[in-house]
Amino acid sequence: MPLPSHQSHANSTTQTTYAASQRVRPETGDLTEPRQQQGAEPSEADLIQRAKLGDAEAFQALYDKHKRRVYSLCLRMTANTAEAEDLAQEAFLQLYRKIATFRGESAFSTWLHRLSVNVVLMHLRKKSLPSVSLEEMTQGGEEESPKKDFGADDVALTGSIDRMQLQRAVESLPPGYRMIFVLHDIEGYEHNEIAKIAGCSIGNSKSQLHKARMKLRDLLKMNRAEKAGKSRVG
Amino acid sequence: MTCVELHQSLAEQEDVGSWEQRTHLRECPACSTLVRELNLIVAAAGQLQEADEPSPRVWNSIEAALRQEGLIRPQRPFVSSFGARWGAARWLVPAAAMLLLALGIYMRRESQADHAAQQALVTSMGNQVASQSDLNDDELMQEVAENEPAMKTQYAENLRQVNESIRDAQGLVNESPNDADARRSLMDAYHQKSMLFEMAMDRPLP
Ligand SMILES: [Zn+2]
Repeated sequence: MPLPSHQSHANSTTQTTYAASQRVRPETGDLTEPRQQQGAEPSEADLIQRAKLGDAEAFQALYDKHKRRVYSLCLRMTANTAEAEDLAQEAFLQLYRKIATFRGESAFSTWLHRLSVNVVLMHLRKKSLPSVSLEEMTQGGEEESPKKDFGADDVALTGSIDRMQLQRAVESLPPGYRMIFVLHDIEGYEHNEIAKIAGCSIGNSKSQLHKARMKLRDLLKMNRAEKAGKSRVG
Repeated sequence: MTCVELHQSLAEQEDVGSWEQRTHLRECPACSTLVRELNLIVAAAGQLQEADEPSPRVWNSIEAALRQEGLIRPQRPFVSSFGARWGAARWLVPAAAMLLLALGIYMRRESQADHAAQQALVTSMGNQVASQSDLNDDELMQEVAENEPAMKTQYAENLRQVNESIRDAQGLVNESPNDADARRSLMDAYHQKSMLFEMAMDRPLP
C-alpha cells in the first residue's frame, strides 16, 4: 500500500474548501527524500543488500535516511524526547532484525513507517491501560473543553500558525486525537489506512480527526488570547 | 443547511464542496471562519513533519544491539583484509611465471633432473598464487556480493570456468612437467583467475 506525500500542504488554504481533501498522492509511495541521481549514492536497494550481508555502514546509511521521519512521528505521538528516541530505536531494531527478508525499495520505507506507527501505538496502549481502544483513548479529552476565560472566542486565527505553537497544541491533545491528527494531517495517511492501523472504523477516524482539529483550534485560540492578555497587562 | 448540520458534515466528510455547504458558508460568517481556521491548521500541520532529529545516542544503541545480535558482521573480517591480502598476493602471478620460465630453461639443460622434484616445483607455483596467499573463491564471491550484487551469477560462472581450466592444465603439467605448452596453459589459467580477482576488487589489471 503506497504511503502519501505532503505536497498538498502548501496549497491547501483555499477559503471554502476543506484542505484535507486536496492531498495529492503520487504513485511512488516513497516516504524518503527525493530520489537520488543515478550513480551518485548507493541506492536504497544496494544499501539493503549490503545490510543483509552485515555491513554496518549500510545499516547506518539506511538509518540516516529515515531517522528524521521516524523520530518526528514518535515525538509527535509521545510528546517526549526520551520516549520518542526509545521508540525510534525499537522501530529500527525490529526492522533490521527482519532485513534479510526484504525484497524491494518501497517495501522498506513503507514497512518501516507502518512498523513505527505500530510500535508507538503499542507503547501508548501499554502506557494508558492494557487493551484500550481508540475510542477510549479519546474519551478523556472530550468532556473537558478548553477553558475560554481569556475570551478565546473573540480571537481569530489569522495569518500563519507558528510551528512551535502548533507543536505544543498537538502535544496537549488527548492521545487518541493526537494519533489521528498526526497520522492524517502530519503524516498524510488516508482514513482507510488509519482505520486499519488503529483498529477503528473509517467513520470513527473521520470524526476523531474533526474533533482533534476543533480542539486544536480552541487550544491555539486560547494561546493567542493568553498572549494578547499578557501583552495588555505587561 | 443549519450551522449544526454543517458542523456535522465536517465531521463526516472532508470536502465542503456540496451546494448546501457552499450556500451556508456564503451566508454564515461564523461557519465560514471556522472552515478557514481549520484549513489554516491543516496547512500548518505539514511543518511538523520531519522537523526533529534524534540524538546520536539512538544510532549508538541500535548499532550496539545489532552487533550483539550478530546482524553487523564484526569488523567485516575478510572483506577488509581481502583487498590487502590480494594486493600482497598479486606479485605471485608474475613471479610464478618467471619461475616457470626459469624451470623450463633449467629442465631443458638438465634433462636428467629428478621427475618428482620437478613436479613438486610446478605444483607449488599454482599453490603460491592461490593457497599460500590465503585467498579463496568464497571470499571472492563474498566481495562480489558486497560490491556488485548484480554481477554475482556472472562471476560465479567465470570462476567455475577458470577453475576448470586450472584443473585441466594442472593435470597436464602433472602428467608431463617438461611440457612447456602445459606449463604455459597453467600460467594462462592462473592469469585469468587473477584477472577475475582484479575485476572483483575493481583494480587496474596487471
Ligand atoms: Zn453556520
